[in-house]
Amino acid sequence: MQSANDHSVRPHWLRVLIIGRRPKATLARIVVLVATCFVTFKFILLPIRIEGVSMLPTYHDRQINCVNRLAYLRHEPQRGDIVSVRLSDPGGIANPSVMFMKRIIGLPGETVSFRSGRAFINGQPLDEPYVKFSCDWEKEPVQCSPTQYYVVGDNRSMAFNFHTQGRAERDRIIGKLFL
Amino acid sequence: MKTAFRLAFLAAVAVLGFWLWTIFFPGPEKLVLRKISSLATTATFSASDSNITRAAKAGNLVGYFTTDAQIIFDAPGQAARTLSGRDEIREAAYGGFASLPALKVQFLDVTVRIGTDKQTADVNCTARVTAGDSKDYGVQEMHFQLKKVEGVWLVIRAETVKTLS
Repeated sequence: MQSANDHSVRPHWLRVLIIGRRPKATLARIVVLVATCFVTFKFILLPIRIEGVSMLPTYHDRQINCVNRLAYLRHEPQRGDIVSVRLSDPGGIANPSVMFMKRIIGLPGETVSFRSGRAFINGQPLDEPYVKFSCDWEKEPVQCSPTQYYVVGDNRSMAFNFHTQGRAERDRIIGKLFL
Repeated sequence: MKTAFRLAFLAAVAVLGFWLWTIFFPGPEKLVLRKISSLATTATFSASDSNITRAAKAGNLVGYFTTDAQIIFDAPGQAARTLSGRDEIREAAYGGFASLPALKVQFLDVTVRIGTDKQTADVNCTARVTAGDSKDYGVQEMHFQLKKVEGVWLVIRAETVKTLS
C-alpha cells in the first residue's frame, strides 16, 4: 500500500527530464546560469565574429572568437598581443558593434617603421614568426606617444594603403583576443 | 493590499505617462539620433531602385545639410576630398547614386553630445558602408556637427576620423 502511494505521486519522467525532481532548485539554477552568461558575455568575454582577411593566416574570415575585456586590468598591453580596437566613442563602456582586430607591434614611446616589408622598432628589426606572407611595405618611422600603441594585421600581402594599421590610443583598446 | 495595488497602479500610470511624453516631446538627443538614422536610410539605395527614385533620394540627401555645410573625406586607400556647400554635395550625391549599383549605409554606435546652448550637437559614430551586392563592407569612424536651423537639426560638418593615426 505504501509503495503504491509513492508510485502515484512520482512525477512523470518527461517532467523530471525537463524541470528535474525539484522544480524550485531547477529554476534557481536556470536563473544563476542566465545571470552568469549575461555578465560573462556582456562585460567580460565579448563574443565577436572576425570579418576580413587582414589577420590571415592567424585568424580567418568568419571565425568566431571572444575579446577578454579584463585582460588589461592588472597589466598594460604587450607586444605581440592581438587586441580589439574601438572605432568610435573612445573610452566608452558600451560594447561596440564594429571594431578593428590587430596585433600590437609597437609600445608607447617606441618608433615603428617598415623597410622592404619588414617591421623595425627603434631601428631594430622585429622578429615576427606569425607573418607568413611577405610584402614590400615602406613606411617612414613614426613615434608612439606615451598613450599610443602601434597595431597592424598579420596579413602583410595586402597593399599598404588598403591595410588599416597605425597608432591606437590606449583608451581605444578594448581587450585581448581570448582564443 | 488595496494601498499597495493603488501605488502599483500609480507607478504604472507614471511610467506610461513618461513614455508617452518622450514619444510626443522627444529630447534634442533623440531628435539628432533620428536625424542621423534617417540620413543613413536616405543614403541607402538598392539595385532595383529606378533612376527617378535614386535622383529623388540624392535630392533629399542635400536637405540634411546646411547651405554652407562641409564634408571632409579622408580615408585610407581613398583620395582625400572636401565638399563645400549644398551644390557640391548635390553634385557628388547625384554622381554616386548614378554610378554605384547599390549602396547600404549604416551609422553604428552613435553617441550624441548636445551643446550647452541646445542649438548644436556633436555626433560620433562608425559608418558601415556596403557598395553593390558584395558581402564586403568598409567601416569608417565619422564625426558630425549639427546645428538647429529654424527648429530643424541640420548637418553643418561631416568628417572622417582617423581611428589609427
